[in-house]
Amino acid sequence: MSLKILSKMLIAAACGAILTSGAVRADTIEEKAAVCSGCHGEKGVPVNAVTPIIWGQMEGYLYLELRDFKKGARKNEIMSGIASSLERDDMLALAAYFAAKPWPNLNQPSASDAVTKQAATANGSIGCTGCHLDKYQGTGSVPRLAGQNHDYLAKTLADFRSGERGNNPGMSSLASATSESDLAALETYLAGM
Amino acid sequence: MKFLGTPLALAAVLALSAPLASQAQEIKAATETKPSSKYGDMSVVTQDQLNRAATDSSNFLQTNGDYRQQRFYPNRQINASNVAKLRPAWIFQTEIKESLETSPIVVNGVMFVTTSFSQVYALDARTGEEMWHFTPKMGPITTFCCGPNNRGVAVSGNLVYMATLDSQLIALDAKTGKVVWKTEIADPEDGYSETMAPTVVKGKVLIGTNGGEYGIKGFVKAYDALTGKLVWTFNTVPDKSIGVWAEKDPTGRVLHRDIAAEKAQLAKTGDPSKTLGGGVWQNPAVDLDTNRIYFVVGNPSPDLDGAQRPGDNLYTDSLVSLDLDTGKYVCHFQYVPHDVWDLDAVSPPVITNVADKDGKPIKGILHAGKTGHVYVHDAKDCSLIRYSEAMVPQENMWVLPTKEGARMLPGANGGVEWSPIATNPSLGLAYAINLHQPMTYQVQSSAYPSGKLWLGGAFKVIPTEEQWGNVTAVDYNTGKIRWQVKTPQPMIGGILATAGGLVFTGEGNGEFKAYDAENGSVLWHFQAGAGVNAPPSSYAIEGKQYIVVGAGGNTQLDYKRGNSIIAFTVD
Repeated sequence: MSLKILSKMLIAAACGAILTSGAVRADTIEEKAAVCSGCHGEKGVPVNAVTPIIWGQMEGYLYLELRDFKKGARKNEIMSGIASSLERDDMLALAAYFAAKPWPNLNQPSASDAVTKQAATANGSIGCTGCHLDKYQGTGSVPRLAGQNHDYLAKTLADFRSGERGNNPGMSSLASATSESDLAALETYLAGM
Repeated sequence: MKFLGTPLALAAVLALSAPLASQAQEIKAATETKPSSKYGDMSVVTQDQLNRAATDSSNFLQTNGDYRQQRFYPNRQINASNVAKLRPAWIFQTEIKESLETSPIVVNGVMFVTTSFSQVYALDARTGEEMWHFTPKMGPITTFCCGPNNRGVAVSGNLVYMATLDSQLIALDAKTGKVVWKTEIADPEDGYSETMAPTVVKGKVLIGTNGGEYGIKGFVKAYDALTGKLVWTFNTVPDKSIGVWAEKDPTGRVLHRDIAAEKAQLAKTGDPSKTLGGGVWQNPAVDLDTNRIYFVVGNPSPDLDGAQRPGDNLYTDSLVSLDLDTGKYVCHFQYVPHDVWDLDAVSPPVITNVADKDGKPIKGILHAGKTGHVYVHDAKDCSLIRYSEAMVPQENMWVLPTKEGARMLPGANGGVEWSPIATNPSLGLAYAINLHQPMTYQVQSSAYPSGKLWLGGAFKVIPTEEQWGNVTAVDYNTGKIRWQVKTPQPMIGGILATAGGLVFTGEGNGEFKAYDAENGSVLWHFQAGAGVNAPPSSYAIEGKQYIVVGAGGNTQLDYKRGNSIIAFTVD
């Protein structure tokens, strides 16, 4: 068994009984959303480091990701399974539900001055804030990055770069055009915002 | 919310600031517009008023001044001899601190401005007092390339027209801000969105679309101004988008296309028209004499990867003219066939009289390109008469983007970005603001992602190279640069010329300046505290002329954000 597969199994186990509880049988939005807290956290604090914060995330972004998991444009064993049973209205309702929740503070350390400066230079070069906006707060279909789980940010940018995550080729192009050192600075800076 | 004004005006605004329960969702602080000037009893904007906007020295009726888009304001009360005494009359702070690109529209003493996220304010143009504030209820999906911007409203009759980030066209009651009708222009889930101000003419509302970075199929649409019913649609990318396999641009530079590879791709995948981009997000110029409109079409999708879109990619990167009544094609002129640099056509075109090649005066069209040239066309058939000297450095044109990144100037923002130019017809000058922003162009191929960001690579600012901007006056009858003033930062936003012999424009560092229209001398400046990256307007109330501009910074260039609408007058 490869480390990658083992890691996926451990994540699934850590997320509790989500796969057996079944999104299909849930009726209310709260019941449907309860499935999500297995990984994304009861109070919005993800249970592991490579799971993103979805509480307070942008509504349009959450909907599009669910849509892409269902379509297969974005791949993740757990999320693809969950999204496959959701209809468009469910996805929109879940997106609205989580977008209305408060963004949790993970208390990740602030970046040093040198890292902050490097992140600013990288932003000046490829223009992250052109879409993610001032202070990386996101809007509409563009996700908030400020305060996001550090390891999730790192994994996401690496996956964009490698093509492992293929549902936003614009982000793949921008991540590929940025050095690994600059990406690391951005990840540290964003997590600590 | 904060503004400088009389205590009475402040009290009035505070009294108005409580939301009305019955309208809480979409209207904030709505109330009847109180007559605020001697013009206040004129309740509607007539087509005749709109037609005569170029000579109206009290109102500012259209996004770029008048249907010809000259941005030449006829009032000369503020002029070279007194502009040094220009002072803020009032400052209105919107609730949105984000990129401001609005062109304030002033009608009969009432000013309409928009903010990022598609919000509209009606203000008393004399005091800055808020009359109503409209926040559209938008769907969850909003896309944009360069900030959640909005460039303003159009006015006609008793309606105010605007378009939203989630691609709705909305008509509001000018007096109350209540929605009269609204319609979806296109599906935002496919990457369509709106940032431009509509144009209203002869009972039609004209609107294009954003989405050149999202693989849309671009268009200009005309809607019935009273009902919102669609009248016609012109697809900016025709079903046959291949063209003539142009090997050079109109200035004679070789485009370095691999035509054989493109033809092989065409045989394999067919015409790429369905996802070819071609957004139109700046206002058309309207020729009332010939009943034609002229607009520019933006970049092909994906921006940097030409391999999967064979052909000239008509009518991207082009000036296009249509018949106003029918939306039928009249003529076009393409600036960059098969563009792989995003050096597209975005600054709104201007109709003005120009000298033809023999020096004879004819009706012409001006367009300031991201390439750094001002192009001068014959309005009759869109043909090119001349192009100006380059306003910014051009180096290594047209080197193809590479996997590692190829340096070429101008960078992908221009030259002249979307910023509208201004003209002074009596001087024969066009005024343009420019960027010098050295970049590398990288290509990376990817399949169409269904309404997601689709760049086909990346344009990267080179952090070690100096950036700057300039204000340039071009003699459009000769193509020569008359004067040029360098600015410390790349410029974006817009410019206004006036009959007072002045040119007004702002900078990312917060400076707002008045230049002498003839020689570029800086005659006045003001520090606004946030980037002045919006086109200025002018108007007059009770015999007093004002200059007004938004200071909200800029998302695309990351200039300091703010939320101020500032009106100036000589005091």
